[in-house]
Amino acid sequence: MSGTLLTIWFKELKDAIRDRRSLMAAMSYALFGPMLMAVAFFAVVQEATSEKDLTVQLEGQEYAPELVLFLQQKGILASKESEQESGIKLVIPEDYQERLATAKAVSIIVRADYSERKNSSNRQRVERALTEYNQVVASARLMMRGISPEVMYAVVSERQDTATKESRAALIMGTVMVFVLMSVFFAGMNVAIDTSAGERERNSLEFLLAQPVRLIDLVTGKALAAGTFAMLGSVLTLIMIPIVFLFVPLEKLGIDISFGIGKQAMLALVLIPLALLASALQLFVSFMAKSFKEAQTYITFVMFAPMTIVMVLEFTRFSHVALEYLPVTSQHQVLLGSINGEPVSFIAMVIGALSTFAVAGILLFGVQWKLRSEKAVFGL
Amino acid sequence: MIEVNNLKKTYKEVTALNGLTFNANDGEITGLLGPNGAGKTTCLRSLYGLIKPDSGSVEIDGLSPAVKPLEVRRNIGIFPDKFGLYERLTAREHIRFIAELHGFRGDAMKEQVERVIAELNMSDIADRRTQGFSQGQRMKVALAQAIVHQPKNLILDEPSRGLDVMSTRILRELMYGLREQGRCILFSSHVMQEVAALCDRVVIMVKGQVVANDSPAALCELTGKESFEDAFVQLIGTDEGIMA
Repeated sequence: MSGTLLTIWFKELKDAIRDRRSLMAAMSYALFGPMLMAVAFFAVVQEATSEKDLTVQLEGQEYAPELVLFLQQKGILASKESEQESGIKLVIPEDYQERLATAKAVSIIVRADYSERKNSSNRQRVERALTEYNQVVASARLMMRGISPEVMYAVVSERQDTATKESRAALIMGTVMVFVLMSVFFAGMNVAIDTSAGERERNSLEFLLAQPVRLIDLVTGKALAAGTFAMLGSVLTLIMIPIVFLFVPLEKLGIDISFGIGKQAMLALVLIPLALLASALQLFVSFMAKSFKEAQTYITFVMFAPMTIVMVLEFTRFSHVALEYLPVTSQHQVLLGSINGEPVSFIAMVIGALSTFAVAGILLFGVQWKLRSEKAVFGL
Repeated sequence: MIEVNNLKKTYKEVTALNGLTFNANDGEITGLLGPNGAGKTTCLRSLYGLIKPDSGSVEIDGLSPAVKPLEVRRNIGIFPDKFGLYERLTAREHIRFIAELHGFRGDAMKEQVERVIAELNMSDIADRRTQGFSQGQRMKVALAQAIVHQPKNLILDEPSRGLDVMSTRILRELMYGLREQGRCILFSSHVMQEVAALCDRVVIMVKGQVVANDSPAALCELTGKESFEDAFVQLIGTDEGIMA
């Protein structure tokens, strides 16, 4: 590493640190991501752990007091006049007791708007309760006739939940990891624009290029400065995650998040090549722009690409061996692997890092190639 | 020592340089004078290798910027057409940055920076961030950046624009001082009085070509005019684009 490279790196860093806008940008992504997720999870936890009582309109409840009692135990209550209804109406026929006594099927009407999606879980709940009651009564009848109720069950499905606490956590943490990747791409953006399009806008580019500096040193120094900010953002996000989740009662969902310092440090290391790649890409784009604003517009478009890849992978759960070796996806796999208990092999990590560095290198080479052209430099 | 030989450069339809040839010698101040659009900036940019001429050659102390740009740039100080400052850095940090890019480190770097700050009489603004600097103060920073590495050749593109009387005096004395040290100074201008007062030699260029190359007095004699302004107008054949 040449001294010139260090000189440029430190000078750009000094300039960026004094720029409040860049600093705020780096910090805010780091803070907003995990906080947003925490709020979302809080809502999910609340929703999943508390089953509210359901009130339905009950017609003819006087004919079947046992059934009404059974429904009550299942949290399904008959509505009173003043209460808001769930839109479900149960009609118990007049001859309920009579048919029950003579072992004939009683039809209980569950009247509701079945096209209404929102209410479908409530309807299922009511129907499930009725089915259960049916089995209780039928089993009792069979037993009275000296038949084991088991003859009614030829095949029974048995649910075995293989989800470990870790893998359930992975589902949630996967979303958080997307925020970590986002922070890598967004935290250094302002610095990257300022050292490239900003340089042109403030008319300091010509003088800088006329110095005895190899262009590759110049662009690498600038990429390192922006990359440092990208790392700052992602490290902050990594630190924030366990802090934020202290306040969310995830254990109620049976989720256990272990995110120690060792793991955080390892993930930060994995993100270093990605930070350089993100910065190289941003420099590549914004050196084409003539002003800060123009660069911002271009970059916003370009940043869609890696984000889309990550989002698609996250939500489709698509997996392929190659993903472990390619830039962006490799880091995504390592992040996911570190939390769902299926860590990516060390060799795959190294290859992923190398491929990321390679693409960053190609981009930086492209930037310095562009700066050789007088058209690009002077905007002729 | 700067040698320009038969330089040609065309942008799309515009011919900026059309066989430009001149020398700027060590220990002399050479003025490149021409109306707006004569190709002065293009010429200077090709001296430090940011513009590649279509044909012809440039040599600075015997080295061509097209072949060895880094070596050439180490030997020249540049005051460009457009200079922007990093407004969050102080004047001293600006000068240090350039000194470091020229390979100065540690005490040697500090010594150079202190010397140039004293020389340009700018110790009062040295530790202020350049945001809000006046045009003259910005100029001083740019000049300090141009000479901090004590280049053998100094290339200035319209250095006096926007300067007040005091700053112009500082600039002039600086240039005289550098001439005493035997350095080669080339500066472009479209202000005749300045060129006439400062230069040992004037290169007048029009439409990318040299039309005259001599001392101001000799040029007056050549054209038979009393004032340098009249000589200039006669030489370029029109009074278009001249600013007094």
